[in-house]
Amino acid sequence: MPPRTRADARRRREIGLAYLLLSPALLLLAGVLAYPLGWEIWTSFTSLSPLQDGGTAFVGLENYRRQVEDPQFWFAATVTVVHAAVTTLAKLALGLGFALLLARPFRGRALVFLAVFLPWAYPASVSVIGWYWTLSPPITTAYSVFMGTLKYAVDGALGTGAWAFLSVTLFNIWRGSSFIGVLLLAGINAVPPELFEYATIESKSPWQRFWVVTVPLLRPFLALGVFLSLTTGFADLANVWMLTAGRIVFPIIGTHAYWLAIKAGEFGPASALSLMLVPFLLAALLVLFRLFDRPEREAA
Amino acid sequence: MSPRGWWRRSRHHALVLLVTAYCLFPIYFVLVQSLKTAEEDVFGNPLIVLHPTLENFEELFVPRGEPRGFVGTALRRSYPFFVWLENTIVVFTGTVALTLGAAVAAAYALGRLRPPGFRWWRRIIFATYVIPQTILFVPLYQVVNALGLDDNLLVLVLVYPTTALPFCVWMLSAYFQHLPREIEEAALIEGASRATAFFRIVLPLSRPVLVAAGIFTLGTIASDFTLASLFLLSDINQTIPAGLGTMEVALDELLAVAGINLMAIPIVLISACFARGYVRGLTAAMLEGA
Repeated sequence: MPPRTRADARRRREIGLAYLLLSPALLLLAGVLAYPLGWEIWTSFTSLSPLQDGGTAFVGLENYRRQVEDPQFWFAATVTVVHAAVTTLAKLALGLGFALLLARPFRGRALVFLAVFLPWAYPASVSVIGWYWTLSPPITTAYSVFMGTLKYAVDGALGTGAWAFLSVTLFNIWRGSSFIGVLLLAGINAVPPELFEYATIESKSPWQRFWVVTVPLLRPFLALGVFLSLTTGFADLANVWMLTAGRIVFPIIGTHAYWLAIKAGEFGPASALSLMLVPFLLAALLVLFRLFDRPEREAA
Repeated sequence: MSPRGWWRRSRHHALVLLVTAYCLFPIYFVLVQSLKTAEEDVFGNPLIVLHPTLENFEELFVPRGEPRGFVGTALRRSYPFFVWLENTIVVFTGTVALTLGAAVAAAYALGRLRPPGFRWWRRIIFATYVIPQTILFVPLYQVVNALGLDDNLLVLVLVYPTTALPFCVWMLSAYFQHLPREIEEAALIEGASRATAFFRIVLPLSRPVLVAAGIFTLGTIASDFTLASLFLLSDINQTIPAGLGTMEVALDELLAVAGINLMAIPIVLISACFARGYVRGLTAAMLEGA
């Protein structure tokens, strides 16, 4: 056998093996996600509802149109944008602060690092229970008066439900800033120190160094943090939703879709609503891919 | 020391203290409550505990079915906490093992064997994060029912990996991709099989990244409350988060808080042991991937 074809055969075997090794991951993802995703897309074009007697009709884009005309939708959309912007910025600012603080050695750094790491490592499934009952405590506890006063002050100033929403936001930031902080610390460690040193000599003030050097060097990691916090942050909200049995006065798109599906039984509009987020998340993902898999790397 | 240096140092100390307090206060607060007696919970100072007790923790393990006395006229029921603990361990171990196994296999395929279009495979796997989770559980529930898996721990072991797998594949494949080819090829030339080369050479070199993937998976699945309480309905099949969610908190606030700590402390300890490895692994993946 000439060597050329032997190499070909070897490569073919390699490719076969590659697909074999890929299959468990693909099967897991497709097995869990494919049918539900298809169902969600299909349902968004229908009038499916468990509360409705008649058959399910295909209604085309009606569900999407109804959402766009609904003032509730625009309220939820506004809250979503504000919530996402505020939490993301806060998480990035705090996370970057933690990472920069921990990047340089000082006495007790290992312990401070652990402290920064813990909010994320502390299981949110149960801390959300603790968090919720701390902020809206049973009447008997010693801190219920203080928390109650705070709750009425906030709700009085911003409207009923503001305190609950604020507490969810705070929880989200507390947990997310820890994750992003550790991620960015890893990112800083991955940047060659010479780059930072050179930049320190070149730049005039620490402030300028921060914007001209640190931020651009960390941009891919910042993007990764933002993307993951946008897509996973919803879990925290869903957790609180479950705990409070849906007493959320300030809906974001996600919780509004939840409400439509569970409380109102309107699966069609709920599906349409949650799918409306996809284009925005996809756009964020494309930016992330651009930053991570840069074209000059594709050639290498 | 110059006054300026002193000022900078104390500013740094203050910052460090502030960061530590911000990060740890909620954890500390929940821990303190769980150590209180019912009396101190009502009349004591919320921030400290003067007479710490483990009775809340002990009460969690009161055998199932035995009444635990009354509050007013309300009977305080006991909870099968020990069973929840076992279920949680089963689900978490199963999920982490399954996720890591599938992620390592896929990442090796994408990073080392590089089938045609491997970059796109990697992107597609990562892009599953875009799928909105909001009401996905409705169709998921149909599937689970159709398979007769409702109220079964296996559901969580199969569903949880989707939340961590994409990131793990992304990270591990970035790392594998940039390990020098030679390290394996030497072994292959010596006559070792691909599997031997992988288990003897590639896998040991990847320890920090594997740790990072494992900790990420654990942290991600330990944050889920929704799926667990949706799919596990009867109390002997629940995991700790699902079970604690069913507690009557107005009556059993201290018990719930103790349960929170019993779940959190082991996970925090495991994560803390691997925390440095977690960062090292993330760094390794970013160094290679970015």
